[in-house]
Amino acid sequence: MTVREAVERFVHDGDSVAIGGFVTNRRPYGLVYEIIRQKRRGLYIEGGPSGGDIDMLIGAGCVAALMVSYIANSGFSMVCNRFRNAVESDGDISGSIMFEDYSLDVQTLALHGAALGLSYIPVKNMIGSDMLAKWGISEEERAKHPKLPPKKYVMAKDPFDPESELCLVPTPRIDVALLHVQQASADGICRIDGSEFQDVDIAVASRHTIVSCEELVDSEQLKAEPERNTITGLCVDAVVHMPRGAHPSQCFGRYDYDSRFFVEYDKASRTKQGFEKFMAEKVFAAGTHSEYLKIWEQNTVQRS
Amino acid sequence: MAVAISRQIQNGGTYIIGTGLPLIGAALAKNTHAAEARFIFESGIFESEPEEVPTSVSDLRICRKASVLWPQYRYVGFSALYAKRGVITAGFLGGAQIDPYGNLNATSIGDYRSPRTRFTGSGGANGIATHCDTVIVMKHEKRRFVERLDYVTSSGWVDGEDGRARAGLNPSKGPQAVVTDLGIMRFGADRRMYLAEYSCGASPSDVIANTGFEIDVSAAVESKPPTEEELNVLKSICRP
Repeated sequence: MTVREAVERFVHDGDSVAIGGFVTNRRPYGLVYEIIRQKRRGLYIEGGPSGGDIDMLIGAGCVAALMVSYIANSGFSMVCNRFRNAVESDGDISGSIMFEDYSLDVQTLALHGAALGLSYIPVKNMIGSDMLAKWGISEEERAKHPKLPPKKYVMAKDPFDPESELCLVPTPRIDVALLHVQQASADGICRIDGSEFQDVDIAVASRHTIVSCEELVDSEQLKAEPERNTITGLCVDAVVHMPRGAHPSQCFGRYDYDSRFFVEYDKASRTKQGFEKFMAEKVFAAGTHSEYLKIWEQNTVQRS
Repeated sequence: MAVAISRQIQNGGTYIIGTGLPLIGAALAKNTHAAEARFIFESGIFESEPEEVPTSVSDLRICRKASVLWPQYRYVGFSALYAKRGVITAGFLGGAQIDPYGNLNATSIGDYRSPRTRFTGSGGANGIATHCDTVIVMKHEKRRFVERLDYVTSSGWVDGEDGRARAGLNPSKGPQAVVTDLGIMRFGADRRMYLAEYSCGASPSDVIANTGFEIDVSAAVESKPPTEEELNVLKSICRP
């Protein structure tokens, strides 16, 4: 399927979205660019270990709410700039998104719980912190957004140990997952090399999953070595063949991150104008992902 | 500071490491006194030996010679269980603000919903502070060492001796040390921070002047200067 078709069919305004990879590693940038290109609005993003891709969605006005525990291009932007500007009182897009803070461990377990079919997870995390005392999105506000759980959490006694207090956190209901993998077949079998992070949980938990891949391979070839496969095609709705689809992030066994991209993005994204100019000239000036790569190609240091 | 961090790492211990200075301190320890130390990362990458300094806990540079590349949820379960069992010696944390009881703010300054300054947020820090002993690494500035945090991202000793138990957290785990450019702080029986060591070239009065709350410096001694070996190894790790 083409990236355009995949996003047209499976990503809708107001969807809740989860994104694979980790910060600057194997993030599905190519899919995210297409969402921005098609101007999706009002997305609810399950952040986890977020990177510049989610920052771009915020900057492009696609995001209604971000469930956040971390958002940076570590080593380049210590905190993503469009996120800062959307949240800080004097930011140039201040107040444009709702946000709710979690511990990364809690988001990881909540996604795992969602993939196990559980409605909530009981944790010790966040107890004693302001992640319980201060809510980013109030109960009244949540009531207006059916995609958000009615409460951030509920405290309860452990039924098996009345001495122990637990924080019960609802698991997210995700409409669409975006992943980038090394190999996939047209019928959706995926092979992830290196860390899977939380990609498998995201794919299982989501109603729809779009996968971009470095290599499109025959499914018989993948099934000849089933022990190396990570996701069944039953969880995948669309496969898009997109070499270097994680650029500017890394992809295990294939390529390193593009430091120059992250350095330029850090500078550009400090202002609304700079961000828009960067996206227009350095991303969308190209009509396709392969043309976009040419903009960056001559400066990318390749390692594997 | 890298030397002070390195000296907090025991040979044979297992530590949860974030990026930045702790990672450099860890590499220094491994190449000097703590060859048997193990380092694990919240991305699920365990016991690796990076050759170049990684930019994040998921940087592929961290995969080099790792024992496992686990999915994140395995790290979450492992860190909770194996801290309780005493296998994890400590986790390293940083933050924008710290209070006298070692509680940390890594979220925002000002009103939470409309802050003056916003940081990344918890990442794995809250989980580490929930389950593990911790070593905190900070720049020593008055605006960072404050009486009250704008936002509590990770609990330390909460508000004193029984603070963690009252809050519902494991009372036997918590901050062990705060390492800064000016010295090393530890926590007394009352769980309040005191100055244990001041760095060479700094003095207890520098610490008092750069701390926004009352701090006991009466037990402080001067840190041993970096050895030639430490400096040489540090140079080789940080080579461009």
